[in-house]
Amino acid sequence: MATRFPLLATAALGLLLAGCGDDRVVTYRVPKERDPDLPGMAAAGAGQSTNGGGSAAPSLPPGHPAVDGAGAGRPGEAMATMANTAVPTADGAPLSWPAPAGWTPRAAGPMRKGSFTVPGPAGDSDLSITAFPGDVGGELANVNRWRGQIGMTPLAPGELDASVRHLAVGGLDLVYAALLPEGDARVKGILGAMVPFGGGTWFFKLSGPKGSLQANQEAFLAFLRGIKAP
Amino acid sequence: MADVLRLLRSVLVSLRLTVVLLAMSIVLVFWATLDQVHLGVWGVQQKFFHAFLVFIHLGGLVVPVYPGGYVLGLLLLANLIAAHLFRLRLTWRKLGIWLAHGGLILLLVGELVSGLVQRDYMMRLDEGETKSYAESNRDYELAVVDATDPNFDDVVAIPTALLARDAAIQNPKLPFKVVPKGYFPNSDVQMRASVPNAPASPATAGMGPMLAITPLALDYSEDAHNSPAAYVELVGPAGSLGTFALVDSTRLPNPQSFSFAGRTFKLFLRPARRYQPFSLTLEKFSHDVYAGTDIPKNFSSKVRLNPPDAPSREFLIFMNNPLRFGGLTFYQASYVPGDTTADEHTTILQVVRNPSWLVPYIACAAITLGLVIQFLLHLAGFAKRRAA
Repeated sequence: MATRFPLLATAALGLLLAGCGDDRVVTYRVPKERDPDLPGMAAAGAGQSTNGGGSAAPSLPPGHPAVDGAGAGRPGEAMATMANTAVPTADGAPLSWPAPAGWTPRAAGPMRKGSFTVPGPAGDSDLSITAFPGDVGGELANVNRWRGQIGMTPLAPGELDASVRHLAVGGLDLVYAALLPEGDARVKGILGAMVPFGGGTWFFKLSGPKGSLQANQEAFLAFLRGIKAP
Repeated sequence: MADVLRLLRSVLVSLRLTVVLLAMSIVLVFWATLDQVHLGVWGVQQKFFHAFLVFIHLGGLVVPVYPGGYVLGLLLLANLIAAHLFRLRLTWRKLGIWLAHGGLILLLVGELVSGLVQRDYMMRLDEGETKSYAESNRDYELAVVDATDPNFDDVVAIPTALLARDAAIQNPKLPFKVVPKGYFPNSDVQMRASVPNAPASPATAGMGPMLAITPLALDYSEDAHNSPAAYVELVGPAGSLGTFALVDSTRLPNPQSFSFAGRTFKLFLRPARRYQPFSLTLEKFSHDVYAGTDIPKNFSSKVRLNPPDAPSREFLIFMNNPLRFGGLTFYQASYVPGDTTADEHTTILQVVRNPSWLVPYIACAAITLGLVIQFLLHLAGFAKRRAA
């Protein structure tokens, strides 16, 4: 009997622990979370990563010792997971747009079709140009996604038309929204436009301090009017 | 029967078995080290050490060819325990050996428990951002989110392992069944328009019909990112609501949403989340360099810990100074680089849940104490003999 006890105990421990799987459905309630942003929000030009390999850009720099803890060699991979992986964007012939004087073009990165830094009196704003398949949830969902990003309450379906403008630009129908929340010039706002094109939806989003957006609103509208389909 | 037990006992207590097992462990480590070139650290851990058997592909077959880390570890453990029970007497003169071997047993058990229950996650925080969840490095989940209420989301999180099993998933929180129609642990996703020869898609709803999903082999290399995809059909009481193509949310973050039974649902295929009852706010990320150089000196994250039933407090996480709270350990792991260090405002913390993290420390202390006692006993005996 004494012989069998340690064996049985060891086997039982092994089997017990081997059964500790996480493969079960879990349910929970969490406070309302805003939708993850479209990848265009991610910093552009940080490096390329493609599926199935490639070096994920952000990680500890060369020469930095490995961090403590199990799996310390994984930060690069974690970044590949979270920051900068390739995204299926809308393909086909692209739209083109002007490059206004004073706006600094930046590397587009894997997720953006184009990227500019737009200076303004209250600080720089970021213009991202992205394109994704389909309608990406529709106009209301996208405007509400932008509103959520700057802490504004979502619009009800009936309120959308009063909050956006339609711009007819060379056969394209752009939906334009100026989202400038209450507050001083430093509060974050968004000037955004979206247009269905080539089976996808293109987004032109200028985000930055409200004071700068107000100063650049006419320039941004002029930029939008310069968009051309091929 | 008694003969068999006696034979088993004599094998289990034998020192030869110890030597054979140690030799097999050396072979296992050597083989795994060579294979690390192909599989990376994580792949090798899964194939050789966190496995009962090591499998190889032979032609079209997958055959077990060698005992894995769990089998060797468990046999060594059984061997050690049996040797103690049947060969060593519990006397004061053997106290050192008992302590040292007890520590070794603890070390083996601790490693086994760690291998089975330890989980690693990542938490990415921008300055000013508060999060109460961490995300898995490798595991994904299908999150079906009922977003009808303006104040909260009801989430049904389905691990992708269940999507791979092809059995319908029913949950009382959902007014429909989730029927897996295909799961790809790694995949490439393109616009269908740009892949003229793509096979027909089973997707009928959402953006699925416009996507061409190509399954890829799992990539085990260290910096690889495996990007899962899945087809799931949602079936309500009155029939199918459509088949959706779900793509890794780190590649296509916006969810697919639809309305059913007066409720709004969103579908995400996202890194598995682990929510905890407290939250962390990143107050400041610092990347210090030596003056006049780009050589890193220190990475640190000043976080505010917000427990549910206690006042929030600040904590500085830096290398070798993790935050331990609520059974989790938060290590400074990475960050998102900016053009200059002043532009860096995003930290990445590694979050580890390892209930047995203290075991190796206790085991090493026991081994050290045992060896010291044994040495002193021998020294005392030697000194006594010299004196005589």
